[in-house]
Amino acid sequence: MTARKLTFEIFRYNPEDPESKPHMQEFTLAEEPYMTLFRALNMIREEQDTGLQFDFSCRSAVCGSCGMMVNGRPTLACKTLTSDLADTVRLHPLPAFKLIGDLSVDTGTWFRAMAEQVGAWVHERAPFDPKAVEEPMDDELAAAIYESDRCIECGCCVASCGVANVRPGFVAPAGMNRIARFMMDPRDARSDTDWFDVVSNDDGVFGCIGLMACHDVCPKELPLLEVYAYLRRRALGTAFLKKA
Amino acid sequence: MDDAAEILQTGAVRRTGEGPSPAVSAREARRQVLYELLSGVSGLILALFMWGHMFFVGSILLGEPAFDWLAEGLEVTYVAQPTVVIILALFILHAVLAARKIPAQLRERRRFVALAKELHNAAGEWRSEGEESPLRPHVESWLWIWQVRTGMVMLVLGSFHLVLMGLDILTPLFGERVGIEAATSIARTSAGLVWAYGLLLLCVEFHAGVGLYRLAIKWGGGSRLRRKTLERVEKFIFWFFLGLGFLVLLVLAGWIPPPLAFLLGG
Repeated sequence: MTARKLTFEIFRYNPEDPESKPHMQEFTLAEEPYMTLFRALNMIREEQDTGLQFDFSCRSAVCGSCGMMVNGRPTLACKTLTSDLADTVRLHPLPAFKLIGDLSVDTGTWFRAMAEQVGAWVHERAPFDPKAVEEPMDDELAAAIYESDRCIECGCCVASCGVANVRPGFVAPAGMNRIARFMMDPRDARSDTDWFDVVSNDDGVFGCIGLMACHDVCPKELPLLEVYAYLRRRALGTAFLKKA
Repeated sequence: MDDAAEILQTGAVRRTGEGPSPAVSAREARRQVLYELLSGVSGLILALFMWGHMFFVGSILLGEPAFDWLAEGLEVTYVAQPTVVIILALFILHAVLAARKIPAQLRERRRFVALAKELHNAAGEWRSEGEESPLRPHVESWLWIWQVRTGMVMLVLGSFHLVLMGLDILTPLFGERVGIEAATSIARTSAGLVWAYGLLLLCVEFHAGVGLYRLAIKWGGGSRLRRKTLERVEKFIFWFFLGLGFLVLLVLAGWIPPPLAFLLGG
């Protein structure tokens, strides 16, 4: 079987350079067996254009740096095999984040702001006592918390979300996943009533209009549909069952 | 410029954080739950009403006498009169509450549409097959755009239809008596309303089908029934009511005779 010749159409723009204008640049490359986009992009940078900007670190879908729009879908470049793509591969940076240049975006600022907005850390019930015996946790609950913690903050869900793309204050799927994680955690001091003010509004779970794109594109296959249904039900319960 | 570039060029980027703070007061949060609940519940009631509605107008398939008998039955028992008023109120309530989710500015809408289109069309540019397919085809964002579009059409045509029915049920303006009659309905429909009603029917069935599916997912139906199952249910409901509705319209337009009239010896 002869190797395919792949055409890469890559978005080029350097916001720092006043001369630079957004445009698509074409590169061609012979496909190799089991070639990932990570490999392809590195080959292009080494052999064809050393100025091409894109982010990579772990190349094994753990660090979450290489999220980009691949043929119209946000996904991790390191996890994407070129054999899964058509002959022409269109690459754009993730929308909803600040563009650093070409395919590189600043997800860190976004996630930092989101984490501060939702208070994405355990609010301790009591000061940590290193000598005390650790409180046991139910296996199922521990597994559920672990499942939420699998989020690598790559930003694919944020980029795929229509709402996050038009409303910068929206906590977005990644933010809802964070909220659900701390809401479930019995070590966290915040009550349903405390959470209610964060969750039950248009920047929280009710900003979500059920587009389901986040769930469909999540490279870690997190159950994001269940996350937002869970938050909705908790908000409803707080509104009607508890006196605020 | 293609859609992906359009999304990037009309960008909304989150500013840095303002620090941890509750986003809204508890009172406002309560109000938001209520909006969300009313929007969903009104949609649910309207969708369920449309199913009942379909069986009532479906009586025309048995012939004009059956239709008139049912219509009069609902009017003498005073079911029809409050229903038309309540449905009109729910219709407006649902439109107002659902519209709060539609992006206000044109550039936001363009961005929204471009993104939905990109995600939808992506399926054609990925070629993965087999059990390790990384591609979960995504259409729901695109369906949402069409829910808004059909909603807008319904707002115009549905309002017209509801006001017309209100006049029919509550005033002697049309036909021989106060109330809905097969003869006047057929006369109006065959005179040209069939085209408007055909479009309204298509919009209603699409909007309600997708809306029920989305409502189920939003509140957690996805964990009980698999999403695939919900999708199949949605498709079945859509095609069933669309088919039945078109059959009814063909009879009301006078293009085919009532196909089930033989059941009543007609």
